[in-house]
Amino acid sequence: MSTRVLALVSDCYGVGGGIARYNQDLFEALAEGDADIVILPRLGNVDGSTLPKGIRQLPAVLSRPLFSLIALWTAWRLRPVDIVFCGHPFMAPVAWMVARFAGARYWVQAHGTDIWGPRPAIVRKAIGAADMATAVSRATRHSLLGWVDLAPERARVLPDTVRDMFAPGPRSDALAGRLQLGPGPILLTVGRLAASERYKGHEQIFAALPAVRARFPTLVHAVAGDGDDRARLERRARELVPDPAAVRFLGFVPDADLLDLYRLADLYVMPSTQEGFGIVYLEAAACGLRVVGGKGGGSGDAIPDGRVGVTVDPADTAALAEAIIGQLARGKADPTAVEPYRRAHFAPAARRLLARLKARPRRMKGES
Amino acid sequence: MCGIAGIHAYLDVAPAVDRGELERMNRRMAARGPDGSGDWLSPDGRVGFTHRRLAIIDLSEAGAQPMHSADGMLSITFNGEIYNYRELRAELQAKGYAFRSGSDTEVLLQLYADRGTAMVEQLRGMFTFGLWDARQRLLVLARDPLGIKPLYYADDGWTLRFASQAKALLAGGAVSRDPDPAGIVGFHLFGSVPEPFTVWQGIRAVPAGTVVTIDASGPSAPQRYYDVASSLALRADKADGDRADARLQMGAAVRDSVRHHLVADVPVAVFLSAGLDSGALLGTMAELGARDILAVTLAFEEFKGAPLDEAPLAAEVAARYGARHIVRTVDRAEFERDLPAILDAMDLPSVDGINTWFVAKAAHEAGIKVALSGLGADECFGGYPSFVDVPRSVHFLRPFHFLPGVGALARRLLTAGIGAGLGIHPKAAGLLQYGGDWAGAYLLRRSVYMPWELDDLLDPAVREEGLRRLAPLSGIAAALQAGRRLGDFDRVAALETSLYMRNQLLRDADWAGMAHAIEIRVPYVDPFFLAALPAGRVLASVDAKAAIADIPDPPLPAASRARRKTGFVTPVGRWIAEAAGAPPGDVSFSTASRAWALRVWQAGWAGPASA
Repeated sequence: MSTRVLALVSDCYGVGGGIARYNQDLFEALAEGDADIVILPRLGNVDGSTLPKGIRQLPAVLSRPLFSLIALWTAWRLRPVDIVFCGHPFMAPVAWMVARFAGARYWVQAHGTDIWGPRPAIVRKAIGAADMATAVSRATRHSLLGWVDLAPERARVLPDTVRDMFAPGPRSDALAGRLQLGPGPILLTVGRLAASERYKGHEQIFAALPAVRARFPTLVHAVAGDGDDRARLERRARELVPDPAAVRFLGFVPDADLLDLYRLADLYVMPSTQEGFGIVYLEAAACGLRVVGGKGGGSGDAIPDGRVGVTVDPADTAALAEAIIGQLARGKADPTAVEPYRRAHFAPAARRLLARLKARPRRMKGES
Repeated sequence: MCGIAGIHAYLDVAPAVDRGELERMNRRMAARGPDGSGDWLSPDGRVGFTHRRLAIIDLSEAGAQPMHSADGMLSITFNGEIYNYRELRAELQAKGYAFRSGSDTEVLLQLYADRGTAMVEQLRGMFTFGLWDARQRLLVLARDPLGIKPLYYADDGWTLRFASQAKALLAGGAVSRDPDPAGIVGFHLFGSVPEPFTVWQGIRAVPAGTVVTIDASGPSAPQRYYDVASSLALRADKADGDRADARLQMGAAVRDSVRHHLVADVPVAVFLSAGLDSGALLGTMAELGARDILAVTLAFEEFKGAPLDEAPLAAEVAARYGARHIVRTVDRAEFERDLPAILDAMDLPSVDGINTWFVAKAAHEAGIKVALSGLGADECFGGYPSFVDVPRSVHFLRPFHFLPGVGALARRLLTAGIGAGLGIHPKAAGLLQYGGDWAGAYLLRRSVYMPWELDDLLDPAVREEGLRRLAPLSGIAAALQAGRRLGDFDRVAALETSLYMRNQLLRDADWAGMAHAIEIRVPYVDPFFLAALPAGRVLASVDAKAAIADIPDPPLPAASRARRKTGFVTPVGRWIAEAAGAPPGDVSFSTASRAWALRVWQAGWAGPASA
């Protein structure tokens, strides 16, 4: 008999972004097993497009009170529900209530910044009541266990997976011609340029560029992405790097071009201190790029050892410059280091977690 | 008896086991096993074990560890002794299992092959082990029923590490030192850290009497196979005999336990105080035919010629049973010289263990490897004042427990009074608030500090979070969960055995003994022995503690009975208080342990500086 999962998530199909993609990867892995998944999102609609077998997505409900009511109604309609999946810690109180109502096991997923640091007591209690909590990285799990009273064995790690399209390949002459980045080498950073995400470390790279360019005079830093902080970052680049040609803001890069962009670059640099996991590091490495990440947060999980790259303290400009120069000298990343993050490993790991959760007894009605 | 550690990279993304880390963990435990050292890495590099050996049974290389089954599918790193290994071996041989060595370690491998993790229920002894089952890709961690041997583990979500010492896990370099407020508050309340907590967030104890299994999705919750309260409840079903029957049962149980605890390929000595517990052990050893027994007694310069001096009476007992008696005298200067080494060896903060440190040191100097200790007799025979105080408190004060707010109000008023110079102990203020239920009365009896006193000692956030996570009263009450009602004697026995003895006495005996490569064996701490004793209500009615004197033949001298006291007494409390600036002279034990607790905590535990 299949396992019926009611997934309460912020977003999944019909929306871009890391969390939506993680949810899709997870649900597809579970549906390939024996799970039958019904998704109730707060954002994003599928508008008639076909979803993988075993997965259904209900219309999005933004309003919180309405979302809670519809979640309860859906749990009633789908009964018996085996598992209530909660895709965001802020929704844990609702998911907890629905799980109790449905007598289902209850699974909370934590990504990164969503659980760093204590949250309201009701959220802490609701996460603490989970039969299983999964985190994308060891750092996220450690942080979660720091403020939630959850037995450590119930907190598991399921890292992001790298999609198979990310793989080494030939440079795209078309893209090279369009961008005109010169002889290189090319440093690449991909990410939203948002004031709320300054931890990604663009400015720290600009500060290190003069020292790096002393060694590589034609080096260019390509900054992919757009956002409300772009104008300020462009100004900072002009202040910190004397040569205006040294930093190129590419704006938003569509997914279709992203792969070619990775293949065009020589090194991926993003000394971020607060990545929940840092999937971009792995996507870059999967395309053969070595990476320089930031110490802190979950970056260490995406850059587990020297075969992929290094993590540095972004505040230490000299160390960052040295890391960039050192990694450029080492050439390509070892693609075998990325293999454990591929779908062939991710999907069985996800299904093992589902089996682990199913091995727990169903909660009795009203039991916390 | 040894030191063990291991690493299992269970998630595919986790890097393979780092042999260097295994070596660092092994080095931190060097004192535990001077006779040998070995490590092993699985062919795929996902599992690694390491081992420090103190050879006691099968001294040959055939007993070296980590050890593997003949087909190579099972590997083990084991710390402890299995006293019934010969019986188990004979049973397995009858089933067709072939053995290559005379060691108890190999019996564990074969027993697992035969019965899986349920094997732990057959084992009589003290043990912890890590066992890798390559066929099932399963790591099994197990700890003995009463928690004689320690085992800690750290799971970061990718990789699981385990070791006999929490400090060995830290020494490996990959485990976070972030503090755990629950363990810190626990130490300040109890004087020892209550398991499963440690003072580090990332490190937990495998609880006594449980098995933890680790598969490709990580560790299971600890699965309990033994708990004290349930086994005492089961024992309570025994019919009451008369007093003579009860004494006969006690004598038979002690003799059977001592006989099992003498299994060794090296001589077994005894730690002898002037008390009845260790004297009865020595007498029973002699009665069972042990010859040339070495008996070690600790004496203190300060006590020479005073009634507290254990040496004269111990000498009389030793002479009665023909033991060779070693009296080792310790003074304050030696204590101060050893203090840095003591704090380094202390695996988790503790207000006790100093006496064991010195008696083990003396034993090591005398060339001893194994010694019996009377630890645990007070818990099973009702030797502590708590067997009287705690039930009395609960019965008299229960009405206040059901009057909301009265106890707390009384406590506030009395605390203010104490602050103003009312000459009573600070803990007494909590009598009405805590004394009316079992958990509260026990906390009051055993605590070093009470929860309301922590404000002055700890950061408010640490105190609040620690108390919430630790939930001390629920933790104490859990030790009484037996599925049915226990009598008063059994309740106190369950509390003292599951909490004080496990978290304080046994943990101290491990670090302080192993620091000198001494295996301390505890015949009074044995589930088979506990089950063979009469029911708790019978033990209470025959004054079991006094009756121990008659167990050996000949019985202990009259002077031993006259001097009813428990274990070793040391002047350490006074040394500490004096070192902290108190005027020389008598310092009450309770006040002294508070000073010592603060001194120990100041040694630095959580954070980057400690190791």
